[in-house]
Amino acid sequence: MNPERESCLVEVLDRLLNRGVILNADLIITVAGVPLIGLNLRAALASMETMLQYGVMDSWDRRSRDSFTSSEVSPPLQEGEHIILKSFGYVWQNWASTGNWIPGSWYLTSRRLLLWRKSPGEAVFEISLERIQILKVVEAPERERSELDLLYSGGVARIYVSDLEEFRSELYQALASARALVS
Amino acid sequence: MIVQARYLYSVVRSGSQENLGNIGIQESEVYTIPFHDLAAVVHSCEAQPYDTRDRRQAEEWVLEHSYVIDQATAKYGTVLPFSFDVLLKGDDAAVRDWLCRGYLHLNSELYRLNDCAEYSIQIYYDYHLLAEDLMKTNPELAQLRIKIDQQPKGRAYLQKRQFEMQLREQVLGLARKTADGLFSQIEKRCREIRVEKGSSSKKERFKDKEHLVSFVCLFTDEEMEEIGDLLEDVDSDPGFSVRFTGPWAPFSFVRLEAE
Repeated sequence: MNPERESCLVEVLDRLLNRGVILNADLIITVAGVPLIGLNLRAALASMETMLQYGVMDSWDRRSRDSFTSSEVSPPLQEGEHIILKSFGYVWQNWASTGNWIPGSWYLTSRRLLLWRKSPGEAVFEISLERIQILKVVEAPERERSELDLLYSGGVARIYVSDLEEFRSELYQALASARALVS
Repeated sequence: MIVQARYLYSVVRSGSQENLGNIGIQESEVYTIPFHDLAAVVHSCEAQPYDTRDRRQAEEWVLEHSYVIDQATAKYGTVLPFSFDVLLKGDDAAVRDWLCRGYLHLNSELYRLNDCAEYSIQIYYDYHLLAEDLMKTNPELAQLRIKIDQQPKGRAYLQKRQFEMQLREQVLGLARKTADGLFSQIEKRCREIRVEKGSSSKKERFKDKEHLVSFVCLFTDEEMEEIGDLLEDVDSDPGFSVRFTGPWAPFSFVRLEAE
């Protein structure tokens, strides 16, 4: 049996967008200090393979979603910090080996990105915007959705947000203005 | 002021600066920037990523990138392929500087992957066919089926469901056994093999079959024939189908991610 290369567009896309060498973050070109890696393009191609089924979740998810979004209990903010966006989502813990998705409310503020759990009232994941180096939309066909990889100084986090597109663009802008303030 | 950058396609084994022609993204002129016996395959551009919301445009760029990688592979042998849209800020000297700093790592990785290419293998199975075979070879199952059909309707329904679950488990067991066997046979003959999570799109000719498992593996031309024969054996079983694609540059095996 011989291998084929004809009509393998999907496999070409998968390889070129999700695999292969990427560079050390500080070498990738940046605009206002934020690395750009063709995010619109990734989104455009993502819809080809998997329908982006935002909000389609099983009943357990819906219950957790309700309990998180009905609450007014939100993370304490620092002086001068304001909330830009709040959205239901998950963070994957230890995503390189085995791990699990932790649900919560994503808060994008003018300074931080954090996943807040109303009970017991703590941030499961928290990072200041200056530390985020790369945003990368990745496909998770097994879960029929797109997720976001955050590369930051000190690690990588895989996250899922229910309105990924809006969230991504807001985060992107927030990163740009956070960088502008620093530099 | 326009900031200069170099779009990176791959790193190859070559010590000379060469022009590969206007084969790059949007017909950019692609050339090599050497450092010792390594060279980066690049084109010169502004420090802006290639980004668009237009799917067709995006596909075209990705295919152009892929084409350059294929051309570089044909000319220089196994390459270290870059993801789409990786740009290095600066001029040729910045690229040379980067090659210099990463030389040991790049060199050993290129050495490790030398002469190898990546291949994808997807295995599909025909549930109904395997179930029929199982019924033929396992008289107990066939007997049970007849017994159920003779029961009163209500009871028969429940038992039928149980029977179907049992059958499904056995069919899956049989299919997995075939996949496991194939995996370990290939493993003995290739450099590296991995099970891939999820399945990519299903081609028309597999539409009646269910996806069982996908592997991605790394091997040389010499190892190809034996592996091809193993796949042929599975593919010739009417209960299974194999999709075998490649050769690809070693996208899934290159280990040079952000340090």
